[in-house]
Amino acid sequence: MTRTAIYKMSLAAIFGLVSGIAGYQFYEHRHYQAPIIAGPGVTRVVKLHEYCPSLKGTPADTDVFFLEGAGDGGTVLLVANTHSNEPAARLTAEIFLENCTIQKGRLIVIPQFNNSGSRNTKPGDGYPLYFEIPTAWGKKKFRMGNRNASPLDSWPDPDVYIHYPDRSLLSYLDVRNTNRTWPGRPDGPLMERVCFAAMELIRNEQVDVAIDIHGAETMFPVTNCIVAPEKSSRIATMVQLMTQAMEGFTVNVYPSPQNFRGLSHREIGDYSNAMPFLLEAPIPFLDQPTGPKTEELLLTGRDPLLLSLARQGKLFVPYDEYGWPMKNRVGQHCSVILEIMNQLSQASPERAVVAENVPRYKDVLEHDVGYYYHNPATADPARVYPN
Amino acid sequence: MKHTPFIAAALAICLLLSVPGAAQDVPAARLPVLTTSAGQSNDVNTLNIILEQAGVKYDYCDVPTVDMIKAGVGLGGQESGEGFHVAIKTDLDKYPTGTPYKTIIFAIGASLKGMGASGLTIEHEAKRLARVINYCKENNIYIIAVHSGGAATRGAEGSDNERMIDAVAPYADHLVVIESSNKDGRFTAIAKEHSIKLTEVQYALNIVALMKTEFAQ
Repeated sequence: MTRTAIYKMSLAAIFGLVSGIAGYQFYEHRHYQAPIIAGPGVTRVVKLHEYCPSLKGTPADTDVFFLEGAGDGGTVLLVANTHSNEPAARLTAEIFLENCTIQKGRLIVIPQFNNSGSRNTKPGDGYPLYFEIPTAWGKKKFRMGNRNASPLDSWPDPDVYIHYPDRSLLSYLDVRNTNRTWPGRPDGPLMERVCFAAMELIRNEQVDVAIDIHGAETMFPVTNCIVAPEKSSRIATMVQLMTQAMEGFTVNVYPSPQNFRGLSHREIGDYSNAMPFLLEAPIPFLDQPTGPKTEELLLTGRDPLLLSLARQGKLFVPYDEYGWPMKNRVGQHCSVILEIMNQLSQASPERAVVAENVPRYKDVLEHDVGYYYHNPATADPARVYPN
Repeated sequence: MKHTPFIAAALAICLLLSVPGAAQDVPAARLPVLTTSAGQSNDVNTLNIILEQAGVKYDYCDVPTVDMIKAGVGLGGQESGEGFHVAIKTDLDKYPTGTPYKTIIFAIGASLKGMGASGLTIEHEAKRLARVINYCKENNIYIIAVHSGGAATRGAEGSDNERMIDAVAPYADHLVVIESSNKDGRFTAIAKEHSIKLTEVQYALNIVALMKTEFAQ
């Protein structure tokens, strides 16, 4: 055997070993199940495919939780993990699912909207595959997903994604982005079907308010805010004023652009009677000029490069050594959602949605996020939904 | 929006949290009033809702020209269109169509998206504002400049947000800002240099009480 052959075989062996280890890790990540506990307020759970049968049996199908109150009222929909690399959304949704009871009206929660995206990762950016939230009973482990659905589930990508029905030309990646494929169609690409199912849910269940929970970079202008179209802007502005004065944090309100299609805050309002709101909390992990994309950065939001940029006035949010911890982001989302419900109830008492037992911003800051999660090992197995 | 006990309590708390002495010592403004934007950010919608909460009736246009302002209440019959928004909410029994505006309130805050939607660049917006402010000065129209966006609508020197402040704040008769907008003291310095009344409040909701007082006379 020549020296060249030995060299080539060694390289092939190293490549095979690395690919094998990575492949095993990706396989484990894709199939890891993070349990969701249905708390006392959850009255029923259905699959999203009930609103679009072509989703049945696909990796994009996902659970839809209903929390129904005794009194008549309106309906609020919470959509979380539209982008699964913005995990404060799911953490917020699980706080509602495990703790919230509804006195009046209904709350519908989809905690893992882009199910395929949550089983995808971004190896080129060195994303951690998992992150853990400390609780009183141990650590709760979650998959760290990606912005877009997995190409294993939605393939092939087009050269250019032509939005339906507007025919705007979008990036090829956006065919797998559930915040570009609204309002969707029942026979389109997989993520269009996910959004179509959600639109059917909104229309059939007469949803009054649809809240899509996100996170955004500190260097991106549309961050730490509520994005709302004209029909939602009054409630959004009242929420801004009230949370700033009563709870001590500031979220701004940005109008939903009319010509940028495919986004939830635009299409839900245009294709249903619901008022959409998209919530953005700062997530320094997603900024590009940071150190390594570690679990610690994800949870604390502390980064020396961002701190340096903040001192030069380059960020769009207040930023200091404290960073932007997960509890601040989740706490803001909880309070903003509750205040949207409160403003809906004041503006239209007959469509009120009254929620109880959900912590507000200061509560989450005091106790941290994991305080509100229950142990799936000791929960009623019938109330535990693997995801 | 109905004044429920919750909002009333919040407003009362915010009034108490206002800068001491600010409410009883504000310059007078008179009706009819026009609200508009300096920079086309969403803060003008916040301003409009603040006025509604304060019970102040107003006309609104995001990009008014001097001719529209000259036309007085009703803005010469202008209607909303793409990238152009108008709302006529002035009490027409008290101030019939055509009544000259006595006060204009500018909501300062730059938004590239907002300016883009109105077909404006930052240079066009600055020139438009200069024309409007010149008209106000020539016609003794009282100018209130509000900065309620906090740190999100501030920026590095020379940035769009700072240019909008430069375009309006030094020419105002009354500057109204929230604390987080003035952390670096920029508005304090402008007010001092140009002898402008400055009211700094903790939260944007505090401006409701301020506007009630401002337009009570």
